[in-house]
Amino acid sequence: MLFTCSLPTLRRTILAGLMFFVVAGLLAPYAQAADKLTIYSGRGERLIKPVLDAFTASTGIQIELLSSGTTELVNRLKAEGDRTSADLLITNDAGSLELARTAGLLRPLNMREVERAIPAQFRAPDNAWVGLSGRFWIVVYNTSLVKPDQVKSLLDLADPKWKDKIAIPNSGSEYLQAGVSVIRATHGDEKTRQFLQGLKANADGQVYQKSSQIVDAVAKGQVALGIVNHYYIYRHLATQPNAPIAALMPDQFEGGMGAIMNVAGIGIVKSTKHLDSAKLLVEFLVAQAGQKLFADLDKEYPLHPDVKADQALVERKSFRAALVPLTKLAELREPTLTLIEQVGLR
Amino acid sequence: MSTIRQQLASPLQLLALATAGLILLPLGYVTAQALSADPAVWSRLWSTRIPELLFNTVSLAASVAVITLFLGVSTAWLVTRTEFPGRRLWEGALVLPLAMPTYVLAYVYSYLLGFGGPVEHLWQLLAGPQARIFSPHSYWGATLVMALDTFPFVYLLSRSALLSMNVSFEEVARASGASRLSTLWRVTLPLMRPSIAAGVALVILYVVSDFGAVSLLRYQTLTYAVFQQMTGRSDNTAASILSLLLVALALIFLITERWFRQRSRFYQTTGRYRAPQRHQYGWLGTIAITSYLGLIVGAAFALPASLLIQWSLSPEAQATLDSRFFGFVWNSGLLAASAATGGVLIGLPLAYLASRRPTLLNVGCLQAAYAGYVLPGPVAALAVLVLFTKLAPVFYGSVLILIVAYVIHFLPAGLQSLEPALQQITPNLEEVSRTLGFGMRATWRRVTLPLVRNGFVVAWVLMFLQTMKELPATLLLRPVGFDTLAIRVWMEASEEYFQLAAPAALLIVLLSLPALALLVSKDWRAA
Repeated sequence: MLFTCSLPTLRRTILAGLMFFVVAGLLAPYAQAADKLTIYSGRGERLIKPVLDAFTASTGIQIELLSSGTTELVNRLKAEGDRTSADLLITNDAGSLELARTAGLLRPLNMREVERAIPAQFRAPDNAWVGLSGRFWIVVYNTSLVKPDQVKSLLDLADPKWKDKIAIPNSGSEYLQAGVSVIRATHGDEKTRQFLQGLKANADGQVYQKSSQIVDAVAKGQVALGIVNHYYIYRHLATQPNAPIAALMPDQFEGGMGAIMNVAGIGIVKSTKHLDSAKLLVEFLVAQAGQKLFADLDKEYPLHPDVKADQALVERKSFRAALVPLTKLAELREPTLTLIEQVGLR
Repeated sequence: MSTIRQQLASPLQLLALATAGLILLPLGYVTAQALSADPAVWSRLWSTRIPELLFNTVSLAASVAVITLFLGVSTAWLVTRTEFPGRRLWEGALVLPLAMPTYVLAYVYSYLLGFGGPVEHLWQLLAGPQARIFSPHSYWGATLVMALDTFPFVYLLSRSALLSMNVSFEEVARASGASRLSTLWRVTLPLMRPSIAAGVALVILYVVSDFGAVSLLRYQTLTYAVFQQMTGRSDNTAASILSLLLVALALIFLITERWFRQRSRFYQTTGRYRAPQRHQYGWLGTIAITSYLGLIVGAAFALPASLLIQWSLSPEAQATLDSRFFGFVWNSGLLAASAATGGVLIGLPLAYLASRRPTLLNVGCLQAAYAGYVLPGPVAALAVLVLFTKLAPVFYGSVLILIVAYVIHFLPAGLQSLEPALQQITPNLEEVSRTLGFGMRATWRRVTLPLVRNGFVVAWVLMFLQTMKELPATLLLRPVGFDTLAIRVWMEASEEYFQLAAPAALLIVLLSLPALALLVSKDWRAA
């Protein structure tokens, strides 16, 4: 049938195709509807979409979501400049938000709702980005393979006794980069280098793209330990309560570094043409109801002081966080990447 | 008439030049960026990543080459030189793996061979509960998946070599007292060598530029590393350095393939050609052959396809078949149609000029358009990205930039069909039409176009399907709201949600099947 189409039809098809090709190409960056927000999100779609769907349900504002890597999206925002169709940027890492802010991509905010809901250490000085949920980069272990007293510090994972027994995320993941930055700021470059070299040797065949895969590998007993953001552990346990895994808060001993904390956050893109709707979304996410979604759906630590974390999680007050300020993650990033590359982490 | 042609030629010439320039420019930019990079970045990469990446890439290519060589030649020999029930069926079935994108096969195998997966369970029944099999996320896993996916290239080339080979060479060898085995070894295989080499070079080119399988199997190759650099770093200097290496590597294999393909001609001393006699096997031989072929086709197509069907029917997968899913289908179709149309329109002047006025310049322009062969997906994306940021940042983040990347990447596949279609019509036919009183337009409409139409349709379909399956460039360049089926498969599969990835994967495989028929009849090199 394909070969018997008549000549005018073919010509029309080609012509129509050409016209579409041109029109679609030209219009796409400018196509924007009235109450529709475009969000570049570096968070897993499974984690953020339900929260955004709740916003759409309560306000009627539609959301167009582009899920991709955080760094990739910040690069994209930089390149697109004022022409970007994005109204907001959501990321899994405060360092990336701070980098976007210093690159002038985000819009400072003067919103009482934000200042009231989110403590100052979890947002930019000018509120160009606002932390939404807290996460800790901690150890997940298989309860039948490891005893919790075998690991005291993240740095213990470089011990050769864990050879082929640990799983780590790939070096492109922003929370690994942020984690290494915190270790550098606390322990210095040389000790960090030794740690990374040990980690590389121990986790050679077990470098994963996704944290959920790491938790899965630990649960199956494929590896004994993994380093992940805490909520992946609890999300796994929520669907499979009998999985032999548990969370371990490292570096809590006297004089220890404290658990590595990061926040996922949001910023309004400077060139947005939907400022009111964008502010509405920020307001929704920092308010108690929004914060509760992050706590309940994603098992993260809400940043709003009045919202409780999920019961299954380790009580927030019972452990210490590392003292490196979130905004410092940005300036620590470049030398951290150099170190990671020198060591040759994947 | 010839004056009209000359008048026509010059704007066309300009167009062809512009097109060739447009295609080479991104490559040039990436090269320039890589070469102008800080030497410190080069030396850091040399001392850390490059040796490992080169070793991984080359050793994967080598092992896949050896396995596909064996699988491809042996299966081709069986279907051309032996007779057994169902032979014709197997002859077609052996091509089916080409309908499986590598990322689909990779994700099926990461389930099958995965830790605690079905194959391991079977093995533990035999070898005891502690027994382990090799991990799919390894060198061997990547080798297995890539070999199963690409051996049809070698099979198809070997098969056509065996079919067109004059049997008298072999008969002379047999008459001179050589045994069957020694005839095979000393006469048949050497005659097939150019075809086999071309097939293997093609396999290697495919392995070197694959992103889908290695990313899901977490096996570090240059192509995967380029993608990781682009997504994990704030500047893409390192990505362009790795890209340059990758292009150089791919170029070596492309040249090898072309060189061998040109040599794959057959020299016959007499004009007589006879088809070889097929060896008849008894029931035992038939069983052996059938189980050998069944194992290969089963592992490379039947088993993965039936798993996909089973997963697609699961309630979890059914729940994803909502309007959002059809949006992905629509996006895939839309992007693929635009890219295919753009490719045909851009390829046409190049192919036309090169076949009608094969000057050095015109042929050069056409060759430039084959640059896509050495631009693996992430590199094409990087190249287009760098180009647009420098020259036309207005289009950054629009559909246009993605379509340009597709066209550059897949134009070679289209040209493979456009070129011969234009070459096969001699200008005489048009001149006859003109002397019989048709005008230029009428001649074009009633003579030229009908003659080239099939070539066009094939080119369009090929580019459509390639684009629909494309993964890395789409991941890197897609505008907001343009997730495609391939993206969904990769996103779900990379978190090991096997059921959720299945419907999109199955749809891609099903849509690829009709094109496969086209490929096998016309030009299968482009798969």
